Amino acid sequence: MSYPAPWHTIGRHALLPAAEHDEMARFDIVAHLNARVAQRLAPKVREAYESRVLNAWWMRHGHEPADRHEVAAAMKQDPTYRAFSLVRRNTMEIRQHAGRTLVAREAERLRSAAQAANKGAATLRLDPTLDLPRYVTAVDTHLMQGGYTAERIADDVANAANYDAGMYATIGGSGGPWNDAAGRALVAWLKRHHPRFSPRCIVDLGCGLGHNTLPLREAFPDAEIIAVDVAAPMLRYGHARARARGFDDVQFLQADATATPLADSSADLVFSTMVLHETSRQALPKIFAEAHRLLRAGGLTLHLEQPPYRGLPAFEQFMRDWDGRFNNEPFWSALHETDCAALLAKSGFGSANVFESRCTAPPLGQPANSDEQHEDFGRAPAWYAVGAWQAAKGIAANG
Amino acid sequence: MDSMDMNHSLPFDADPIQPAAAAATGRRPDSPQFTDDPMLDRLYGVTLALITELAVTRTRLDTVEKLLARRELVAGEEIEGFTPDDSEAAARSRLQSEYLERVLRSLD
Repeated sequence: MSYPAPWHTIGRHALLPAAEHDEMARFDIVAHLNARVAQRLAPKVREAYESRVLNAWWMRHGHEPADRHEVAAAMKQDPTYRAFSLVRRNTMEIRQHAGRTLVAREAERLRSAAQAANKGAATLRLDPTLDLPRYVTAVDTHLMQGGYTAERIADDVANAANYDAGMYATIGGSGGPWNDAAGRALVAWLKRHHPRFSPRCIVDLGCGLGHNTLPLREAFPDAEIIAVDVAAPMLRYGHARARARGFDDVQFLQADATATPLADSSADLVFSTMVLHETSRQALPKIFAEAHRLLRAGGLTLHLEQPPYRGLPAFEQFMRDWDGRFNNEPFWSALHETDCAALLAKSGFGSANVFESRCTAPPLGQPANSDEQHEDFGRAPAWYAVGAWQAAKGIAANG
Repeated sequence: MDSMDMNHSLPFDADPIQPAAAAATGRRPDSPQFTDDPMLDRLYGVTLALITELAVTRTRLDTVEKLLARRELVAGEEIEGFTPDDSEAAARSRLQSEYLERVLRSLD
């Protein structure tokens, strides 16, 4: 049994909310509750399914549940699944409340710190005229009140600070002290599979507060890096956070990933980490088309996500669906049923240039936080990757 | 942009779970119900919050004990072997009785 990393081991920087004793203790018990849900309660749900629910379904219908929807129908009444869900949902609500009350106390100090760091910086470009996509404004993603775009005071950074501080508790520190495991996994994948790939310009689509952007800066010190997001509070915070960590030349740009103001054929790497499931059916193909527009010949687009449902047992699909149902991720299920590789191929890349792979964050030499024995149904530091290489423009690749 | 504007009116610590907050943001009230009885869902909510707060209190107590031990003011064994004197014991009994009155009130 491994324990989640205690909150005080989070990477410290000037923008991090200064949690007091009980606030840290609250994050710590949230991390333990989440670990418990994943390591102890989730296996019980599987047990309940295999020992009771499956049989009962057989008796009534004469066949196994055919898909995740039938598994959901079969499991809906099951007390083990209900208890699992109640504990998991309440833990997430408690985590959000803990983060929200913390940043409420710190909101003005954090705002001032961000303003001081961002003042006059050409590397932070906000666009107050940007139309925010409905899929971002209509939903309190992860139950975070107001979502990514909420601004309760001018130059607000509170929700970004909540996200930064609280995510460490949600995933029990398994992303490392800087919550950047996906970025490090992406770099590790590039170094392993394409060691000579040396992008001059890198674009991070849906960067949020830039957690996963910064490992790219460390890996490619000479590249121009542009982190793009629709949410001004995340960018303000992310830009100030990057500076506080000594990353002065990463650009943060407020723009919609479906239509950035960046030039055609200007980038060599266009990537995203855990972003596609927070978009929409309409936006997704446009994001891929935008990546195609931005890339130079020989460039790469790469997107890290949870794995698609195809090929997974119906029960596992059902368990992975939990966030879509109960953690305010309305596009989660649809994304995981989408063939992103086919969509990339259709977005101009051509099927011969499209690939699927798997990325894992290299260990950091700090306490191991995720128990590999237990599937965490979406929160382990390993990702499905789907990507495409850019052939010469106008020539659909034929292999 | 309208939803952003409405966010200005919300306090930082407003709860997304409560319908009032959902109404203020124009967002759907999204608290799912997992059991057949909404009261049971609420009871889980309260219980999980209690679990959390008890853990916070125990952690704080642990901090105090460790600080006392570090400064050699009170050793751990002293706490384990502590016996209250008569008046302390009486006060503690009163505390315990009042505590049960409070937490079990709804069963009366």
